[in-house]
Amino acid sequence: MLSATGKPRSQGQDKNKNTAGAPQSEQPQVLTSKQLLFVPSLFTLAFFLLSFLPRVQGNEILVRSFWAATAVLVVWQIFMILQCRRTGETKSFILAKPRPQHYIQAMVHLSVYTYWGWYWPPVQEHALLLVAQLLFAYAFDMLMAWSRRDSYLLGFGPFPIIFSTNLFLWFRDDWFYLQFLMIAVGFMGKEFVRWKRDGKSTHIFNPSAFTLGLFSLILIFTNTTDFTWGPQIASTLSLAPGIYTYLFLGGLVVMYFFSITLVAASAAAVLFGLSALYYAVTGVPYFLDSEIPTAVFLGLHLLVTDPSTSPRTPPGRLVFGILYGLGVFALYTILSAFGAPTFYDKLLCVPLLNLSVQWIDRAVQSLRDNSTLDRMGLGVVPSRRANLAHMAVWIVFFATMTLIGKTDGKHIGDSLPFWELACQEGRPTACDRLLLLQSTYCSDNSGWACNELGAHYASGRIIPADPDRALTYFARACELRFQAGCVNLLDPSTISRTEPRVFDLRLLLRQGGQNLMDMPESELYARACEHEWAFACSNIVSTL
Amino acid sequence: MKKNKGAKYFRLILAMLIPIVGAMPLAASKADAQQSLDTVLSEVAGFRAEMWYLPDEELLGFVEIPAGTFLMGSNPLIDPMAFENERWSEGRRQGIVDLPTYYISRYEVTIAQFKAFADATGYRVNPMALQGPLNHPVANVSWTDAIAYARWLEARLKESAQTPAPLQRLLNNGWRVSIPNEAQWEKAARGSEGRLYPWGNQPNRDKANYSGSGTRAVGSYACPECQYGLHDMSGNVWEWTRSPYQPLPFDPSDDRSNLAEDALWVMRGGSFNDAENNARTAVRGAADPGARRPFIGFRLVISSI
Repeated sequence: MLSATGKPRSQGQDKNKNTAGAPQSEQPQVLTSKQLLFVPSLFTLAFFLLSFLPRVQGNEILVRSFWAATAVLVVWQIFMILQCRRTGETKSFILAKPRPQHYIQAMVHLSVYTYWGWYWPPVQEHALLLVAQLLFAYAFDMLMAWSRRDSYLLGFGPFPIIFSTNLFLWFRDDWFYLQFLMIAVGFMGKEFVRWKRDGKSTHIFNPSAFTLGLFSLILIFTNTTDFTWGPQIASTLSLAPGIYTYLFLGGLVVMYFFSITLVAASAAAVLFGLSALYYAVTGVPYFLDSEIPTAVFLGLHLLVTDPSTSPRTPPGRLVFGILYGLGVFALYTILSAFGAPTFYDKLLCVPLLNLSVQWIDRAVQSLRDNSTLDRMGLGVVPSRRANLAHMAVWIVFFATMTLIGKTDGKHIGDSLPFWELACQEGRPTACDRLLLLQSTYCSDNSGWACNELGAHYASGRIIPADPDRALTYFARACELRFQAGCVNLLDPSTISRTEPRVFDLRLLLRQGGQNLMDMPESELYARACEHEWAFACSNIVSTL
Repeated sequence: MKKNKGAKYFRLILAMLIPIVGAMPLAASKADAQQSLDTVLSEVAGFRAEMWYLPDEELLGFVEIPAGTFLMGSNPLIDPMAFENERWSEGRRQGIVDLPTYYISRYEVTIAQFKAFADATGYRVNPMALQGPLNHPVANVSWTDAIAYARWLEARLKESAQTPAPLQRLLNNGWRVSIPNEAQWEKAARGSEGRLYPWGNQPNRDKANYSGSGTRAVGSYACPECQYGLHDMSGNVWEWTRSPYQPLPFDPSDDRSNLAEDALWVMRGGSFNDAENNARTAVRGAADPGARRPFIGFRLVISSI
């Protein structure tokens, strides 16, 4: 029997105090019934049924991952139902008013998926798995909440957690059970890792950032990044034309509703500024292919900006954003130095920043009554008007960066010849970047790139000579039918090098994953010419 | 009391059965092991295990091909099966090539020899390459695998005290172990008389393994007529050469021309899988250097390249 009342049941009232952050003014509707215990079963059943769709059936391990997750949920439900029958307890739903930080964030996330997925098909293939994760998350969250108290706050909460997690990392089908584990860890972090903030119990960490940070560390230390789509996710956002502008516009929505302008804008400004400074000093870009990698730009709008886990005061938000920018900037170098994939840079510092929010908010209290800051809208008391002013400044800043080609424009780091020249000139990190790029392209089956790597290891000019490794790269180049690789394998004492073939150019010019396999040769040479391949410029005419 | 007695008998029977049952598969596996050891020993008879299964001969199976000229390419007037790519040049059907002395292996490289290399180095090979009797020619090896094997063997021969002195001298003088170039291969196969087949000008299935169903142990076909006493220069497996595939005339110095073209490397001699036209000494096949096929293997050469 389902009953609807205007107040929570008295039995669960005390425990409900722990329910994550429902505003005091809400008058939530409470549904209480013994039958409610079966609601998680409906989510579990729907989740289980998804495993029979062709997308899941195509991979045996994926099917088993679904079934294992289903089994966990079913066992947990049976245990809970038996316990409730034994004790006579009932469970309830609190139907709170939909919270904008859930549904607006989720809508912005969804719009990013839609635009990005239009240009990168794996996102479309992942859509069903997103739905599955949502069903799993609701069932898991309900069971976890009811295991600790009598009520569950039913709303859109799981949406932004699932969406923002998947915007940065998802596991390959063969390892997808780890995705369910990652989601579960995120919800457990939200449930168990809590503190008192402004007198209320609230979660410390942004749930998606917490689990992303934790799993990033594990993946780095176990060298298992290839279990995930992480590197591809980070690099393929740029396949969508004008992605920076798109993210900027989506970010404005979030900034308007949640007043996080100072966080995102200060992080972006720090990164733009440090990148420009680095380029001015060294002559090479700091980030390989952009002023701010697209995934970082996404992160500073939609990952670090969770209002519940960021500072409440405007100066606190400013500091928070600056620290995020500095953190990403530093982590990029640290990860590079350890040979770890650099795309983790935007994920690792968020949990640490979440831990610092109370300290930041307390620290900026000393700025209270500072009239200069008040005039700049940076007083400790937030104001909607000040947020609009900050948004205006951010719009002007972004527009300026776009006009000078620092966002969606062509980036100098996209050009391999640029890095070759920079390496020859002895510019900082240029040779390391060159080797990194050539290594990536060699793994992508470019015989030219493998031969270049072999030549570097054979000559020992930009890296310590390693004859065995040189032979390995020459052999790989040769097997990829790059003739110079074969003759170098025969006689490594005289190194042959030649320009990339058409096939190599189709790989070298992909910029994050575009498919250039069917591009006409004339267009390909034109593209190569734009990327400073001198030989390609003269070939354009001959292919017309 | 009765129950205890029954249990006691049951345990006794079990105790008697266990060694009998346990010994049965043991005896069978011992017999199997002996049989398989015998098979292995028979397969590697005539090869030196301590010398990486090279032939038990004075020069470890390397045969001297004396310096001198030979006729390369095909003349369709003499050889109606000749293919167009065997023509020497626009103006000439055949050409004369002068080669310095070199040494070529009597047999194709065997599975035992290649396995010794793979075991010693951990080199990643196609598992199919190591399947089959140990004295059969290794197949399913790429051009790069062949080069890697040759490089490894050269290093081993240089450092081994058991390497015959003449070979050791050659290697110390800068001679290299490699795979033959096209001209070296063709001269070794057809001799100085320009034969169409290693044994003469007529096909003969008793002399080589072609038009067959699989590889045979190296040296299975006696060929006393073959000028240099080499085996399987026709058939068994195609043999990689270190010549890139390009039109004749042969020029050993132009290996580094046409680097922009996709690589194809010449293979010679035909295989068990080919008819008599591909078993001719002048036939020029070509394959992708990464190709690993059940009908492509190689043999070695020691030369002053």
